[in-house]
Amino acid sequence: IPPLTYKVVAECSVSKARAGLMTLRHSEVNTPVFMPVGTQGTLKGILPDQLIELNCQILLGNTYHLGLRPGIETLRLAGGLHKFMGWPRAILTDSGGFQMVSLLQLAEINEKGVNFRSPFDNSECMLTPEHSIQIQNAIGADIMMQLDDVVKTTTTGPRVEEAMERTIRWVDRCIEAHARDDDQSLFPIVQGGLDVPLRQRCVSALMERQVRGFAVGGLSGGESKHDFWRMVDVCTDHLPRDKPRYLMGVGFAADLVVCVALGIDMFDCVFPTRTARFGCALVDSGQLNLKQPKYKLDLEPIDKQCECSTCKRYTRSYLHHIATNESVSCSLLSIHNVAYQLRLMRSMREAIQRDEFPKFVIDFMARHFGKDPIPTWIQEALKAVNIELPPAEEKQEKETIKQEKHEQAIEVS
Amino acid sequence: MKFVIESLTKNGGRLGQLHIKDGAPEQRTPLLMQTTKGGSIPCLSADVFESHVTRKPQVLQFTLSTIDQMTEALAQWNRADRGLSDYVGFPGHLNVLLLRDPCEMTPAGGNDRDIQPLFTRRGKESLSPQRYMEMVASLKPDIYQGLCDADTNADSSKKRVQKSVDRTEKFMQYIYENKSKVESALLAPIVGGYNTFARTQSIKHAHEQPADSYGGYVFEGFHTNGLAATTLDASKLLPIVQHCVGQLEEGKPRMVPGAYTPLTTLELIGLGMDLFDTSYAYCAAVNFKALTFTFAQDADAVVHVPFLDITDDANKEDFTPLLKKCDCLSCKKHTRAYLHHLYKTNELLGPILLMIHNLHHYLAFFEAIRQSIASDGLQQLTELVRRQNGDSQVDYGIAPNRKVISKATMGKGFAAAAV
Ligand SMILES: [Zn+2]
Ligand SMILES: [Zn+2]
Repeated sequence: IPPLTYKVVAECSVSKARAGLMTLRHSEVNTPVFMPVGTQGTLKGILPDQLIELNCQILLGNTYHLGLRPGIETLRLAGGLHKFMGWPRAILTDSGGFQMVSLLQLAEINEKGVNFRSPFDNSECMLTPEHSIQIQNAIGADIMMQLDDVVKTTTTGPRVEEAMERTIRWVDRCIEAHARDDDQSLFPIVQGGLDVPLRQRCVSALMERQVRGFAVGGLSGGESKHDFWRMVDVCTDHLPRDKPRYLMGVGFAADLVVCVALGIDMFDCVFPTRTARFGCALVDSGQLNLKQPKYKLDLEPIDKQCECSTCKRYTRSYLHHIATNESVSCSLLSIHNVAYQLRLMRSMREAIQRDEFPKFVIDFMARHFGKDPIPTWIQEALKAVNIELPPAEEKQEKETIKQEKHEQAIEVS
Repeated sequence: MKFVIESLTKNGGRLGQLHIKDGAPEQRTPLLMQTTKGGSIPCLSADVFESHVTRKPQVLQFTLSTIDQMTEALAQWNRADRGLSDYVGFPGHLNVLLLRDPCEMTPAGGNDRDIQPLFTRRGKESLSPQRYMEMVASLKPDIYQGLCDADTNADSSKKRVQKSVDRTEKFMQYIYENKSKVESALLAPIVGGYNTFARTQSIKHAHEQPADSYGGYVFEGFHTNGLAATTLDASKLLPIVQHCVGQLEEGKPRMVPGAYTPLTTLELIGLGMDLFDTSYAYCAAVNFKALTFTFAQDADAVVHVPFLDITDDANKEDFTPLLKKCDCLSCKKHTRAYLHHLYKTNELLGPILLMIHNLHHYLAFFEAIRQSIASDGLQQLTELVRRQNGDSQVDYGIAPNRKVISKATMGKGFAAAAV
């Protein structure tokens, strides 16, 4: 049996959304899926048992951090990350390259790999595609990522093409270096910046390789939302139907819904747990900053409909008092936020299976944006996959009034 | 509040049943209360505590210095008659309200004539007896302690000790006169540092009140909380406690808050103390120590050590549990190497797993204490804990862990995890 099998279970008859079942060595994974990020072999303040209770099926670990601590020797001795951290279900690791480029000031990329100075002794080191795979083989994640040539999403010109071409050359070196292909699946990463032909070329080249799934990289880094959705759309148009597609670093609720409609299956993001540390709880209408004084006497749970252990026992008022003061508040809010993300994905899967996904999207956007206008990029992205959001008459009126006022103001000035 | 002594042996401890309120389960003494911070068991959500430490109803020990800012919300909450424990996620659990957090060192000073300083997260607050009683009325704990000046330890001058007794008397005068305004049961504070005369005077003042004025005693002023309690000189403490106990009636429970070591705890129980808290287990966890002392009478003759220091590099590739034969989640599912990694990376799960183990271990310790009293074996247990099967007395003191990564190096947002 291959270490990864993927089967489309249901497809939306309107959009590109699909529900699938991915079977990995350590777990079955129902897609579309959100993968919480457990950077250093733990998800901020949550026990593995609690994640299982939330029905989390797959976690993300960061190769750069794990390679530093506990280090590859310790991981080998432990028998891999699953055993080391006591997590029996699936794990996905990144290549480490992105973390280096974003965390280390002196990282520099050449054909060999990523050149950087060690944060500990300032000595010069090199992370090559081969080295990244060695570390990921020691970590033993069910899915691992190739080392890619990372450029800022806002970069333009020949550097973008160079990075895309190099990424393709590097995937071959990664495949060559991969020593555990019977246990672990290596995903290549689609690069190509914000350039449609480059993205298309990259997808075709990667599809010639023997791989079990694909990642879409180089997005969600400060580009306009308009460019963002178009790049996702181009990639999913050309990627094969029978393999899972992972969009790296995307995790805001509205983005998840749009990208599922565009045909993405896997997501990861640190946002739900990071925002929890600052006292924020995710709800359909956005997030509640529980530190705000208005929650001091609010004796309701974060979300009455939520079935997480935090909402069952705690009020906004109590959480207001302990948020950012007592470390247990990180755990409580992380649990709720991860539960929120997982529930959102489950609702989408179920809607796709009932073939009611467009209705789900329309209802979700109404709840999420409330009285605010739905951003144009979302309307356009959804329209591209045949989901028309209802024209909000009231909203348009309101906008017109705003517009008029604005014009008056200009006239007056 | 009712307290019934079940058995009593000279220097062998006493077993009792504490009935705190109607409908609530009786608590067996010597009792271990769960210390809380900001209303929560440190690092553990109510769900994790119940799933992985114990499902038995506990007595929660709240501290005003960590929940004072919740008074307004609780006044509103309690209008629906829900209770302090419900508010913090432990519906139905009994609770006691203390003034100071036994887990952290209480700063000295600030003892003005008519007010008591309350050191909160936001700084020093001034607590008058009037304000204190208003807060108790809003918080509605099952039991609350009397307001007292406990700013004394073994080094306090005679003058400071006398002042603590006089000020406590004054505060308590107000409390006794106004206690009918609250429904909670009162614990009379016994202060007086390490001075037998001052302690007697403090007891006398309580005894001057009508018999039903208070339901028990709380011993304060032996230390100023935090790690200080783990290193205090028991040979100075115990004679004073013995002196006091001789003057107390049997029928009222006696509480000694603070992170006393397991050995001192046993000696205090031997002298007739009844109510303790988990601040020692917390102080160990927060300084990256897993409790490993043995209290199993039938234990092999192996020499045990009081702690496992997680920060020790020897743990890096040690894939064994914190404590062999321990059946807590941390020991069953995780290894020393993983705990060491969580320490090195300053991850929040580290203190969580340590608290699970330490609380699990300490609850089992108290179960063993009650059994040993029932079988007249408290002294044997005390000797076992004192020497851990070795030749000399082991050291249960907890020194601050200098290696603890400071809040500053953790980056924004991690401050909350720094405890
Ligand atoms: Zn919730
Ligand atoms: Zn244990």
